Amino acid sequence: MTSDERTLHPALKIGGLVLLALIGAAVGAATARFIDAAALPADDALNLFVGVVLIGMGVVMGGILALRPTEVPKGCGLLQILVLTLAGIVLIVPIYGTNWLSAEVSMAIVLGLLAIQTVANVMMFRQADEMLRRVMVETGALAFWVLQLALFVYAASERLGLVEGITAWGMIGIMMAVYMVASAVAGARRGLK
Amino acid sequence: MNNRLKVLRAERNWSQAELADRLGVSRQTVNALETGRYDPSLPLAFRIARVFEQPIESIFLED
Repeated sequence: MTSDERTLHPALKIGGLVLLALIGAAVGAATARFIDAAALPADDALNLFVGVVLIGMGVVMGGILALRPTEVPKGCGLLQILVLTLAGIVLIVPIYGTNWLSAEVSMAIVLGLLAIQTVANVMMFRQADEMLRRVMVETGALAFWVLQLALFVYAASERLGLVEGITAWGMIGIMMAVYMVASAVAGARRGLK
Repeated sequence: MNNRLKVLRAERNWSQAELADRLGVSRQTVNALETGRYDPSLPLAFRIARVFEQPIESIFLED
């Protein structure tokens, strides 16, 4: 038996997965109830949901990093937490920012966060090892392929008057949701959990 | 492509994390290599060969 197998007991692993599933279900249900109660438009609801999921993934990543710290690739874990959390926040600020701030200040905050997130994304790609880079590239390719196909079908349907218009805000929500699924698929193919 | 990474690592009683450190990659990458979910680049294959002090063709085998 190698030390990897000794350090992580299967029961502990299953227990951890069940706990994560329960937390995910509770957060998902609470978000869905909130969206219902607030009667948000569909595009806001989707972006809020995706934003909460991204922040939740950042929190879970933080927990995993605390429990199983890793030095290689250096800094990648922290950067991933930062990227996920900021991606979630920039989806939520445009919905609620104007409750407390002007639209201009809210937009400035979004642009600032987006700049930090972009730098963190580039740093993460540069510091990742070759397999993690491959997963990122495959995620981008898969998401592009699905989204261009969906956009074409939608655009043709709209031109033919078969469907109603959709907001750019709604499209971003769909794009982020597809990207998350593509990331999960590309990661699962390489055994990432 | 098949490989003997898991056997070679077990012979040395290294954990995946230890091997990952020696190769300069993540533990997930070592796991993906061992389970055949990822074929390494040539530079990584050479690093693996150096770490185990064996020729590449004795570590990686064609299907």
